[in-house]
Amino acid sequence: MLSVAKAVDAALRALLVVLVVMLVFSIAWQVMSRYLLDDPSPWTEELARFLLIWIGMLGASLAFRQRAHLGLELLPQKLKGTAAVVLKYFTLFVIALFAITVLVAGGSNLVALTWELRQYSPVLGMPISWVYSVVPLTGTIIVFYCLVQALEDDADTAVSRGVGEL
Amino acid sequence: MEIALLIIVFAGLFALGVPIAVCIGLSTLTTMAMTMDFLPAVTTIAQRMAGGLNSFALLAIPLFILSGQLMAQGGIARRLVEFSKAIIGMVPGGLAFVNVISCTLFGAISGSAIAATTAVGSFMIPEMKKEGYDKNFAAAVTVTSATTGLLIPPSNTLIVYAVASGGVSIAALFIAGYVPGILISLALIMVCAIYARRHKMPAGERVSARAALGYTVAALPSLFLIVLVIGGILAGIFTATEAGAIAVLYSLLLSAVIYREIGIADIASICLKAAQTTAVVMFLIAASIAMSWILAYENIPAMVAETLLSISDNPIVILLLINIVLLLVGIFMDMTPAVLIFTPIFLPVAVALGMSPLHFGIMLVLNLCIGLCTPPVGTILFVGCALAKTTIDRMIRPMIPMYAAMFVVLMLITYIPELSEGLPRYFGLID
Repeated sequence: MLSVAKAVDAALRALLVVLVVMLVFSIAWQVMSRYLLDDPSPWTEELARFLLIWIGMLGASLAFRQRAHLGLELLPQKLKGTAAVVLKYFTLFVIALFAITVLVAGGSNLVALTWELRQYSPVLGMPISWVYSVVPLTGTIIVFYCLVQALEDDADTAVSRGVGEL
Repeated sequence: MEIALLIIVFAGLFALGVPIAVCIGLSTLTTMAMTMDFLPAVTTIAQRMAGGLNSFALLAIPLFILSGQLMAQGGIARRLVEFSKAIIGMVPGGLAFVNVISCTLFGAISGSAIAATTAVGSFMIPEMKKEGYDKNFAAAVTVTSATTGLLIPPSNTLIVYAVASGGVSIAALFIAGYVPGILISLALIMVCAIYARRHKMPAGERVSARAALGYTVAALPSLFLIVLVIGGILAGIFTATEAGAIAVLYSLLLSAVIYREIGIADIASICLKAAQTTAVVMFLIAASIAMSWILAYENIPAMVAETLLSISDNPIVILLLINIVLLLVGIFMDMTPAVLIFTPIFLPVAVALGMSPLHFGIMLVLNLCIGLCTPPVGTILFVGCALAKTTIDRMIRPMIPMYAAMFVVLMLITYIPELSEGLPRYFGLID
């Protein structure tokens, strides 16, 4: 399971780098096409907004893996022994509960609804359900990461704190 | 009834250390499940979350995070430090002033207090220590002055507020942040001056006119970013989001081509770091957008406004109360979640008292800047602490006069609207 987790980590990382580079270029192209070509590009804004949804969601799943999400660390840092283990499993359970209900169940239903209603994005003509499909995908990855963290030692989890003044 | 449930679930999970975004999501879900079926409830939350990120204004956040990280590793801080030394290093206590000014300048080109603390602190804290300053004081100066970057544009926190407030102009908020940011900087310089006098701190070395010119020339390309980004927004050449992309390209040019401090290999890791930081913010924003919907549905902001206004109808008293609550919030909560959760609750009260949403936003962010420097939840305090190889409790003593200085500025900003609104009005960004 840990080797699968490593593969998922690597795939997510690579995908995020590509999505960020695409984001920068689409906005930069928006400015350049307006001033240099005098012909504002119509699709850049919509593409960038969709990229942001994907980066936000997929990046959030990776942040669960690295425990980079912001929270009050006082209690987890104070507790030792059994209490700490109980709290670790409780926290993982709560995160997985949220991921299963809102992201997987709610997200899948959202994808199904937009698919049935045949909603397309105004400029790119992309089915909205494709854009929203990242929600159940993210939920599934988060649940997977919760399982991985429940099985592995805390020492194995690469904690990346300090995302800053967020 | 539903609201009590929302608060209990949120506070309980938050106290246990559950990630705030999940606390927000699950408390929203329990509250909604009281009034509607399960599937429509989860679908609505999922839709609000994904739909909430579908915003052009929010796109500025990943871009400014990315440019900030490029600058943090691109050798820009060192050049700003050398430039500040050439200007003011030679007076008694000069290094402390250099520290404050470098942090402020770094804040003016990047929107990250953590980047300012790390980038400037890693030069200035060891150097101040070598010159006989107390390392705890050196770290305290760095940490507090790094917060100016959150008010001085570009500032991600102000963008988050713009979204949370439902449409205050980012350009107006950016310009409004200059005066309060510089006031904090000046207040901290005064604290440093008193410290330098009392402890008879030495003057820094005087650099020759020739060297000073060299340092200035080296710093100019960095400082030009201010003209490019803010000038471009003010002149209407591009939007705040587009300015973010320009800042990314320019800081890439600066750090990879002009200063040559990062290579192709670094760029991928910087992009990944930016994506992760962005995602943490976006996930919080997404969850908060779902929650603010249920807050409005349950009429919570109106209830809070009514309660506060029943205590007193004197704006001075109410604003003081709001500030005290926010200072307490800032002690336990990071800045972005605090802005996202408390903007929808307190902004209507402030507006009812005749405060503009622009002015409230500046007050809110300045207030939470103080919280950023207080334990137990004060991210940049920990970074400063680690850089100085000291402990939090040793840093508190030198921090106290700085908290006081920041509080004085907070009161000025709260009660004198012109300090926030004057500049954006001058540039025609507000009426």
